[in-house]
Amino acid sequence: MSEKQLGNGQQLILSEELYLKISKLVEKLTTSTGAEYIVFCEVNGYPVTHFGDIKEVDLPTISSLAAGNFSATAQMASMLGENDSFKYLFHEGEEQNLYISNVGFNFLLIVVFRVEVALGMVRIYTKKAIASLGEILENANQEEKESKEFLDLEFKTLLSEELSRSLKL
Amino acid sequence: MFINHALQEINLKIVYYGPGLSGKTSNLEFIYKHLDPKIRSELITLNTKEERTLYFDFMQLELGQIQGKKPKFNLYTVPGQVYYRFSRKVILKGVDGVVFVADSQKSRMGENLDSLLDLEKNLIETGCTLQDFPWVIQYNKRDLPEIETIEKLQSRLNFFGAPFYKGVATKGHEVLSTLQGVIEQVIQKIVI
Repeated sequence: MSEKQLGNGQQLILSEELYLKISKLVEKLTTSTGAEYIVFCEVNGYPVTHFGDIKEVDLPTISSLAAGNFSATAQMASMLGENDSFKYLFHEGEEQNLYISNVGFNFLLIVVFRVEVALGMVRIYTKKAIASLGEILENANQEEKESKEFLDLEFKTLLSEELSRSLKL
Repeated sequence: MFINHALQEINLKIVYYGPGLSGKTSNLEFIYKHLDPKIRSELITLNTKEERTLYFDFMQLELGQIQGKKPKFNLYTVPGQVYYRFSRKVILKGVDGVVFVADSQKSRMGENLDSLLDLEKNLIETGCTLQDFPWVIQYNKRDLPEIETIEKLQSRLNFFGAPFYKGVATKGHEVLSTLQGVIEQVIQKIVI
């Protein structure tokens, strides 16, 4: 998978090998920071992998809100004349803090940690992890399967039937 | 579109676009109420004090396994008001398919056109055009008086011959068939 910014209607495909490497790093980061949980998601808010005690938090929802939040501030950065988006977002709560940072162009890291945990430590470990994740994504095997190999005409027909059933049309 | 091979997940983004108060949020609200909670997430709405969409509404629809794969559809609305144009650009990022919710009332034709042109402009900035992009139109509010005929709406708005639906989103008329229609357009584009 090449680390380039994707436009609308384009596809981003994550291989199994890459998924396993990323998951391992997310697990390691959760342990070393003592975070409640960490979510690694695609920049449009699709959750990829997570680790820690996510409790009742709905994964697609928190990912999409974090992605929306990050995109909105990236737009603000651009209005202020910044070349890139802001490096990270930090939200301070009464009991928990939220730290969001981009990993290259296409992914985000969402770290939720208790207020007792020092922000500086989270920043240091997260920065290191982002560098490692960036390296993994950059050096990933370029031989990606085309989505057409993944989705064929039979899939389309079956999806159509499943939609009619689920939507009760 | 984002494919996670390890989890066999296919993630797609569908955006409901259209002028302010055309019924984009009503579409999502009906989908949310109608669908089995097992296959959809919570509906998140980011509203102003006046309950107009400030940033976006969001919910995820997750169908069961198909050929061992798990298709997931992330549904978003945009704020329709003209001055939220930057928010719309942000939400359109990474979109795979669009439902354009037009207001059928005669008095709203200008706003429909402005919104459609705004959509086209935003898509062009990301390298797409409405001509080759998966989208459908829903002519909403068909139960109101003083509405345009479908022929006139078609001739003014649907210049690329996208599939269209005659909706009453608040009552759920054609809401689910619109959703199915846009999903099929998106998948069609991928498999061909």
